[in-house]
Amino acid sequence: MTKDKGAPKKDNFTRNLVVAVIVGVALIMLVPTLLSKQSDESAAIPALASVEDGYGIALNGDLTSVPKIEIYEDFQCPYCAGFEGLAGSYLEELVAKKEAKVVYNLMTFIGLESLSAANAAGCAADEGKFKEFHKLLYANLPNKENSGTWTNEYLKAAGQGVGISSQQFSSCVDDLKYANWTKNISAAASKANVNSTPTILINGRKIDNKVELASLDAFKAAVAKG
Amino acid sequence: MKIWIEKTSPWIGLVSRLVLGGVLFAAGYLKVFTLEKSQMSVRAYELLPISLANFLGIVLPFAEIVLGLLLIIGAFTRYMALLGGAIMFIFIVAIASAWARGLTIDCGCFGGGGQVAANETKYLQEIVRDAGLLLLALFLIRYPVTRFSLDKVQK
Repeated sequence: MTKDKGAPKKDNFTRNLVVAVIVGVALIMLVPTLLSKQSDESAAIPALASVEDGYGIALNGDLTSVPKIEIYEDFQCPYCAGFEGLAGSYLEELVAKKEAKVVYNLMTFIGLESLSAANAAGCAADEGKFKEFHKLLYANLPNKENSGTWTNEYLKAAGQGVGISSQQFSSCVDDLKYANWTKNISAAASKANVNSTPTILINGRKIDNKVELASLDAFKAAVAKG
Repeated sequence: MKIWIEKTSPWIGLVSRLVLGGVLFAAGYLKVFTLEKSQMSVRAYELLPISLANFLGIVLPFAEIVLGLLLIIGAFTRYMALLGGAIMFIFIVAIASAWARGLTIDCGCFGGGGQVAANETKYLQEIVRDAGLLLLALFLIRYPVTRFSLDKVQK
């Protein structure tokens, strides 16, 4: 019974079963993931979000005769915080003087806290406090990714810190109202071939971070060049 | 010599399976929870059309996990080694091409990936590591009969 010709067949049945289970489970996980990467046009989008600008938050979105500066960033990306420190006030000035259209595309590839933060920033946009909220979060970037710092409680407190007191903001943060909106941003960013953050486009031209973000003057020159 | 190989190859094969399978499994596992990042690192090679790169960025981590597991348990060892070796060969070509074109990216093999500073590239280490793994795969293709494998050999 043990050494007859039937034995190898039986053994390989076990192997084939194990293989089938492993491959099957992987496919069950993979296929929905592949299908879910499409963008959801019915997703709720916050104030200022511009579908034609890759779902980003567009400041001066209606201006057309000024340079368009598109910023692809992730709230948990230290280099993005660096860019905000370098050029944040300058961009604010450009927006205030109506000298540029600035689009913030909030990507969320670093993890769940990026998603919570981007969602909360969308909620802040509804309250007219996007730029202030954006600045405050970068100023308080935790040292480690997904460290558990940016909880919804934290983000709501940050909202209060920039003068948002509405109940609507709290529930927007708690409900992750704009989670699907951030997925649309990611989908648009991947189609736009954004491979790292921050990626900055000026009138559609991807700037060279090594050179054109070396200093504020270099960045100003890049904007002036258009 | 022949007897020596017959005696030792199942053990070398076992180690090869565990190392190659373990590395593949770890590489897949570290990426499978951050698929957007994985897609970004594939795109960063600038070798494939964007849609294909995005597709590969999702499929690759799953494929690595499956391949890694099957190598670890030793199922269809020769075929899995063939696939593993082919993947390593493609990785080597892709990394070498990124290097030759002057890109400054991380290979993204174990998560991470994308642009890095010019002095932070590790192309040579990445190629040497993958070449080592390719050798293990070649060994398994030549000597697929290994210890503690689910493959049962008909004698």
